[in-house]
Parts: sequence; structure tokens; C-alpha cells
Amino acid sequence: MLKNLYSIRKIIKFLTIIAIATFIFLPIDVSATQLHASSEGVITHQMGHLFFLFSMAALIFTVTGKGLNKQKGWRLIQYSAFFFILWNLDAIAAHFLDNQILAAKIENISLTRIKVVTHNDSSIIGWLYYFLKLDHFLCVPAMFFLYKGLSRLVNDQRLAMTKKDTP
Amino acid sequence: MIVSFIPILAVDVIGSVAMVVIALLCLYKARMLREMDTDNAVFLYLLWISMGFTIFALSRAFGHILKQFLVLSSNPDAWYAISSYSGSVNTGTFMLVGMITLFFNHTWNINEKIFSSRQKLEATHIKLMDLNQTLEQKVVERTERLTSSEHKCRRIFEQSLDTIIVTDNEFKVMEINPAGIILTGYPRDEMIINKMDVGYFFCDPAEWDRIKNTISLKEYIFNEEAEFLRPDKESLLVLITGVVDYGAFGCAKSYHFIIKNVSEKRQMEQQIAQADKLAALGELSAGVAHEINNPLGIILGYTQLLLKSEPEHNDDLKIIEKHVQNCKTVVSDLLSFSRKGSAEMGIVDINKVVNSVINFLSNHTDFRNIKITLNPHTGDRLNIIGNEQELAQVIINMLINACHAVERKGKIDIVTLKTQEDKILIMVKDNGKGVEKKNLSRIFDPFFTTKPVGQGTGLGLSVGYGIIKRHQGDIHVESSKEKGTVFTISLPAEKIQNQVRTRG
Repeated sequence: MLKNLYSIRKIIKFLTIIAIATFIFLPIDVSATQLHASSEGVITHQMGHLFFLFSMAALIFTVTGKGLNKQKGWRLIQYSAFFFILWNLDAIAAHFLDNQILAAKIENISLTRIKVVTHNDSSIIGWLYYFLKLDHFLCVPAMFFLYKGLSRLVNDQRLAMTKKDTP
Repeated sequence: MIVSFIPILAVDVIGSVAMVVIALLCLYKARMLREMDTDNAVFLYLLWISMGFTIFALSRAFGHILKQFLVLSSNPDAWYAISSYSGSVNTGTFMLVGMITLFFNHTWNINEKIFSSRQKLEATHIKLMDLNQTLEQKVVERTERLTSSEHKCRRIFEQSLDTIIVTDNEFKVMEINPAGIILTGYPRDEMIINKMDVGYFFCDPAEWDRIKNTISLKEYIFNEEAEFLRPDKESLLVLITGVVDYGAFGCAKSYHFIIKNVSEKRQMEQQIAQADKLAALGELSAGVAHEINNPLGIILGYTQLLLKSEPEHNDDLKIIEKHVQNCKTVVSDLLSFSRKGSAEMGIVDINKVVNSVINFLSNHTDFRNIKITLNPHTGDRLNIIGNEQELAQVIINMLINACHAVERKGKIDIVTLKTQEDKILIMVKDNGKGVEKKNLSRIFDPFFTTKPVGQGTGLGLSVGYGIIKRHQGDIHVESSKEKGTVFTISLPAEKIQNQVRTRG
């Protein structure tokens, strides 16, 4: 009885090794991966901007909710977040026009001049797109407010430490 | 529409560079914050977000500047080839910043908890410090009070003139104060190291057993009278008060005794009682002697007349005359004791009186085998106001008593001296058999004698006592069985020269 049981186990072991060897040495196309369209990149990028926008909005509300906006440092960080929100809105709009709906694009004519090509030659969309491309007017102030906020926090902390050390 | 490219190009390039620079400055400030308080989770969060923005700025600047460069250098295809990668990295960086930002709330809560815990810890630390300081202060105060209390108790123990003894539960001496060492006469080490039993101080062991039983039963004794025997065999009368102490903080049971030496007080009381008794006896004797003296004079007169007129009854009459004379002597002594005599008072040199008495008695047969030594006071003369004959009589009486005490062969020392209190002392010391303790209080009583019948009238010391009292002096006796007796006469020294007074 025991001898039969031992023989069955040996057969199962042999079949398992054969199966693994077959998968490794003789692969076949099973169509497991999904194909992606090129528009997925823009969508993902736009979702990233939305996520960034949302996180900045959350930061503003959290700072207010914690009562930190009474401190100038945190208030400046709130301004920074606000400008980043504006920058994200700018970026989303710009990407929407040139990458999603293909309503606007820039063609370089020379080193100093460009041609803004819009759908139906709409000058409104053209000028809108032109200004949207000047997004550094939003992200640089945002970064500057962050720097000022941190500087203020550094000063406040230094003052607090001095007060603590003073008997 | 065709527009100028310069604004876009300038803003793009300068803005990208500015972003990188400001992001790096933010990183620097965030690091400063972090270094100021490494335990602050919010500062750690700000450092992370600054790092995120720096990566974002770098990625974005790289992409924008590279784009402008490639497009302007007529390589737009190259830019299109890498723009997807640049955009992806850019997407990743601001998503990273967004993710870090979303953790702000949690970070803040964690920081709040840390801050709250730290505040609680600091408050607890301050409380502990306060408690510790209060405890230290209390320990210092209690130690000072304990030291002060211990000092007071120690002073009471050391300075007490009464004996204080602490014993264990078997009445072995554990502590004894200096007064106790003087009273008992034993060295401190012998009593404490050898754990001497208190009963060892007692003259009579039965007396100690009685006191021990009483304190065991009642847990205290109050003013129990007992007699102590010192190592030099001197006995002392003491009052003992004692209590049981069951001890505190696990200390063993012990006994505390306070012992007062009342020997001198008792002796003084006895002397006062003796003086009162003798004064009463003197009054009585004076009355009796006065009443007997006159009939005796008449009997003696008639007896002497009969002796002349009736020669046939000569023998009988002489016997009557002899006994009447004896009676007259006794009556005379009694009158002398009771101060009813008459004597002239003058300046008397005690050394001279003592010398004359010794010269007189040294020729007497009873004193032939007795060595009499005189240690006279040297210096100024020992003058007193008194009656020389009476004082000589007192000294003779004492020497005769001393002679009887040494049984006619022994040693008698006489010392005269003057004390700082202007007292003149005459001490007569013999090495005889001594006076029994029970008789000491009676030796100045009239007619008290320990001699066989016919050998003494019992009036010698009584008369001497009366004479000394009349001289504003005092007389007292110390005696030890088989060691001898010391009589000490104390007389006031003469203060005003040539003062003579007569007592009538």
C-alpha cells in the first residue's frame, strides 16, 4: 500500500517539472498586455496637473483649518499654493488647447517671431494661447512665496529659540 | 496670427532658471528649519516638499530650456523625440509634490501629538523637578529638625545631674550618662561593653528583684527607694523611676531609668530630725535637772552634816555622798547639754586646745598603746569665739570614744583645717570597729550608749553636741563597719578680732 503511494508521488513530481520546462522553453503568445493610445500621455499629464491643483487646494484649507494662517510664514505658503493652483489651471488650459483638442499650436517663423495657428484662425484663441504660454508669471511667484514663507518660518523659529534660551 | 517670440522665450528661459534658483533657496531654508528642530515633523515635511519642488523645477527647467534650444537650432524633430520623456518626468515630479502635500494633514497631526507629548513630558518633568526639590527641601528641613531634636535629647542626656540609664529588655546597660558613671562608680566601657546588669548596682539583690518584678508587671516604677553599692563600698540611697519603651521603627523593647541620689538629702533630713529631737530632749533634760539639782544639794548637805555629827554611820553616809555626787555630775552634764549652764566666751585658738588635750590624754593609761597623730592647720591661727574649757571637753569626749572604739590600741588621727568658707574643721578619725548603721542616727541621743552597763552614761556625745551647737557649729559622723569612724566638728572662724561676749 505504502509502496503504491510512493510511486504516485514520484509521477506527480515528474509531471510538474515537465510543465514548468514547457512554459520556460516553449512560450506562446497569450495576449495578456493591453495596447495604449498616444492620447493617454496627455490625459495622464492633465490628471497630474489636476492632482497637483487639488493637493495645493487641500494645503490651503488645511493651513486655514489648523489656524496656521495667523502666522505670516504659513500665510505666505498659502499664497504660494494659490499661485500654483493658478499655474495648474493655466497649464491644464494650454495643454487642452494644443494637445487635446488641437485648437492651437505654435510654428517658429524666425528667431524672434512665431505664428500661432488656431482652429478657424480665431484670434481670441490665439491670444489666449499666447498668454497661457507665459505660465512662468504664475509658477515663479508661487515658488517665491514658498521661499518667503520658509524664510519667515526660519526667523520665527530662531526667535522662539532665543526666547526659550533667555532666562 | 504672427506675434513676437521674445516674450515667450525670455519668460520661459528666465522663469525656468528663476524656478531652479528659488527652489534651491527653498531647500536651503527648509534644511535650516530642520536643523533647528530635528524632532519637528512639520519641518521634516517642509524639507520633503522643498525637495519635491526642487526636483520639479529642475525637471521643468531642463525640459523648457532644452525645447527652446532644439526648436531654435532647427532640430524640432529631436525635441519631439524626447518631449514625451520630458513631459512624463515633469508629470511625475509635480505628482510627487502633490502626494507629499497631501500628507501635510497627517504630518501636522503627528507633529501635534509629538508636541503635545513633549509638552506633557516637560510639564511632568517640571512637576517631578518641583517634587524633587520639595522633597529635598523637606528632607533638609526634617534632617535639621531631627538633628536639633537629637542635639537637645543628647544635651539633656549628657548634662543631666540625675543618672539616666537605658537598658535592653534583659536590663543590661546600653547607655548611661556621665552623671550615672559618677554615681555608680563603674567605668563606662565596663558597663556598656560588658553589658552590666542594672541589678549589679544594688546593695541588696532582693531589692532589685522586687523593683524588676514591679516594672515587669506595671511597666513603670516611680520614685522607688533603693540602696546602691559603689565599687569603693560606699553605699548610696537613690530614688529610681523607670518605664518600658517598646521602641519605634522595629526597635527592640528597652527600659529607661532615671536615678536620683538622695543620700545627702536624706542625711540632711536625718540631721534636722536629730537636731529637733535633741532640742526637745534638751528642754526636757533642763527641766528635770533643774528640779533634781536642788533636792540633791539638800541631800548632799545633810549627808555631809551627818558625817560630821554621826561618825557611827560613816560608811553608809559616804556611800550616799558618793552616789549623790554621781547624780550631781549627771545633772551637771544634763544642764550642760541643755545649755542651761553659764560660761564665758572668748577668743579660742583651736590648735592650742587640741594640743593641750592631746598632751593631757597622752599621759592617761588608756592611751598608752594608741598612736595619736595631729595634722594641724598651718598658716593663720584657727581662732574662734567660744569657751575653751567646753571645747576641750568635747574633744576629750571624742578622743575617749575613739579610744574605746580602737579598744585601747590603734590609731587616732586629728586634723584641723580652715575652709574657704571660713569654717574651722576638727576631724577625729579612728581605725576602730566603727558604728553600726542602725545606731548612727542615735549616737547623739542623751543616755544612748553601746558600752557595757557602768562604763558610760551615754551623755558624752550629747553634751558635746550641745556645746558645739551653742558655738553655732555643727558636728557629724561618718562610719564604716570595721573601717573606723570620723567625727567632724565644724565651727565658724572668728571674724572680728578681740570680740568677747558673754552668754548668761
